[in-house]
Amino acid sequence: MSSKINHHHHHFNGHDSIPPPCPHLADFCSRNGTKPFHLLQNCLRIKPPHGRASIRRDPSEIPRCGACGVSSVPRIYACVTCATISCHAPPEPSHAAAHAASMAPGHEISVDVDRAELFCCACRDYVYDRDFDAAVVLSSKANNIHSNVNSDNLRKKRRIVEYRPWLPDIHERVLVNNNSSVLNFVEDRPWGLRGLNNLGNTCFMNSVLQALLHTPPLRNYFLSDRHNRYYCQQKKSGNENGVVGGKRSNGGDGHGGKGLRLCLACDMDAMFSAVFSGNPVPYSPAKFLYSWWQHAANLASYEQQDAHEFFISMLDGIHEKVEKDRHKTHGLGHGDCCIAHRVFSGILRSDVMCTACGFTSTKYDPCVDISLDLEPYLGSSAKSMSLKTHSCNGEVDCTNSSQNGGISTLIGCLDRFTRPERLGSDQKFFCQQCQVRQESLKQMSIRKLPLVSCFHIKRFEHSSIRKMSRKVDRYLQFPFSLDMAPYLSSSILRSRFGNRIFPFDGDEADASNEMSSEFELFAVVTHTGKLDSGHYVTYLRLSNQWYKCDDSWITQVNENIVRAAQGYMMFYVQKMLYYKAGEKQVAQ
Amino acid sequence: MSVPNEDNMSSHTQLSSHFFGELLDSIIVDVASECHRIARLGLDRNLEEEEEELRLSAQARVTVADPSNSGETNGKYVVDIFGQTHPSVANEVFDCMNCGRPIVAGRFAPHLEKCMGKGRKARVKATRSSTAAQNRYSRGSPVSAYSSYSNSTSTNRLSNGTYNHTVEEYSNGTCEEP
Repeated sequence: MSSKINHHHHHFNGHDSIPPPCPHLADFCSRNGTKPFHLLQNCLRIKPPHGRASIRRDPSEIPRCGACGVSSVPRIYACVTCATISCHAPPEPSHAAAHAASMAPGHEISVDVDRAELFCCACRDYVYDRDFDAAVVLSSKANNIHSNVNSDNLRKKRRIVEYRPWLPDIHERVLVNNNSSVLNFVEDRPWGLRGLNNLGNTCFMNSVLQALLHTPPLRNYFLSDRHNRYYCQQKKSGNENGVVGGKRSNGGDGHGGKGLRLCLACDMDAMFSAVFSGNPVPYSPAKFLYSWWQHAANLASYEQQDAHEFFISMLDGIHEKVEKDRHKTHGLGHGDCCIAHRVFSGILRSDVMCTACGFTSTKYDPCVDISLDLEPYLGSSAKSMSLKTHSCNGEVDCTNSSQNGGISTLIGCLDRFTRPERLGSDQKFFCQQCQVRQESLKQMSIRKLPLVSCFHIKRFEHSSIRKMSRKVDRYLQFPFSLDMAPYLSSSILRSRFGNRIFPFDGDEADASNEMSSEFELFAVVTHTGKLDSGHYVTYLRLSNQWYKCDDSWITQVNENIVRAAQGYMMFYVQKMLYYKAGEKQVAQ
Repeated sequence: MSVPNEDNMSSHTQLSSHFFGELLDSIIVDVASECHRIARLGLDRNLEEEEEELRLSAQARVTVADPSNSGETNGKYVVDIFGQTHPSVANEVFDCMNCGRPIVAGRFAPHLEKCMGKGRKARVKATRSSTAAQNRYSRGSPVSAYSSYSNSTSTNRLSNGTYNHTVEEYSNGTCEEP
């Protein structure tokens, strides 16, 4: 890596951190090159779909130890140099080690015949080699063709550029001084905190707005005047009347007066200005409500609504009304179309794998958030363990929350979201390779992480059988720091192929994926109460201090309140942001 | 029970134990070699951090549940961080951008609903997506069920595709407790 970035996960495309080879492996490779590993490819047997790889000269061969004839011990190794088969079954003396010692040097490296893993008989440990892994993966891949349904436009690689801070020159400084008014900034008060008046059951809107007002890339965009509402309205109205005020109306023409064009981004701009002005009196997002109701006509009613629904609708509204390049839909997930998608848009990958032959069909879809199911009800045994934490022996299986003391966790939900799911026999998928409908496995993963990840917990259940909806109040643990690396397509793909060292599709894509899969929580929208008569509140994290935004009321709270709260939507932002070369030339 | 039978049974049992033992050993080595690879290649997840977060959450819930702690959770506010207080119905007055009349903030939404000709009584039923179901409750006042997305054109809509986005419905006051 050109820059020194300390990141936990290692990626194998080019620069990597596989462990250095043991001296015997290093010796073997320098003496023989990669040829022996390639020859092994002929003996590789892969069980579909993406099953374990094993080494067999003949498909029906039963490997037996050359020294003692045993074939049923778990570890049987074949010397890569001379193909002698030896067993290694402590506490019995190791015939594999004996072979290496007696034929030394040059016969230390062997391969585990049942697992296709290299084993150094001298070091008595498994060792890893890139070329060997490549041979195994290529053998697997040869058996099943991958079909990529719509990956064409994914290869939009833009080079990462170094961040250069902007400082005004003398001329610009004069401009700034002459054309701005200094805000009254109170030192110990965090920037941009301002209550939002409830306009009548609008806490669903207020809660989402508070989160968005403090979404760092969105906030920076609007505060740097990237969408100037005066200029935008002037452009839209196309008349010389110039500035039209937001709240004053020239009559009841339903559009707030002549010249005013519907633009949710303009209303956002006005809101950012108001909220970051330093004025502590609660702000009424009336104009925004009015604009939103014009945009989302079927949601326009004085009723408590779903905050998540509002979030989606509003992002859509910002997208539609931005008159940028109309040809650029956000369908590709790159976010070049508007700021809403620039910030929130990611790409999900969906793989459907035939269980008979391993053929995989891949599809990419953009998303602005990830909706997660809570686990099905666990039963009373979970309740008694709910407040204890278990000490973990080995790896915590987060998919089974009874090991977490019965608590559902966000990570558990993400694990479930990305685990391979067997589609029912009534949902057989037509396999292009087998040419028949086969049972299949489906697996989701994240191809491209958005700048800001919004996780929506499906707490509102609808049962069409019972003709009612209900809310799931179950507590969900969510971390303050989150590493999304295990859910990336590159990680999921790699684990599907046994975690071999190989540049998988998706590894070389967005370079920023490599470096920034770490996220920090900055906003939590919570819902309390019943489905029909509940209340939304947002908790914001500013300078590592938490604030509760309950409509007009902004109060400071201890982080314990937030950890214990019932999260409905959680907003995480990438810890490190990288700048990419823009497509347009910007005036210097 | 004759002796030959006992011998046969015990050797049968022995044999099945033996096979079971071999299978078990093999599975253990499978898992061990997978974990070994993950650990060696640095692919393992940061379990310490994850455990720490779980511990903090558990601790937080205990602290918050303790009634002797301050009433941060009970929603009763004295003053906000700016030292202000606010009435339960927002009393700012501004002009409606639709009709021009001055309206109290806390009553703006119901006013705007009528003013714009939207709302339950005035509204024309929007078209439903095929996956949205309707909810009707016994008390008689019609409750609207919303599809998840606004009625924008399909080119702007996110495709659901294989990513199953179930429709959630959220209704108003007339729901009976299940």
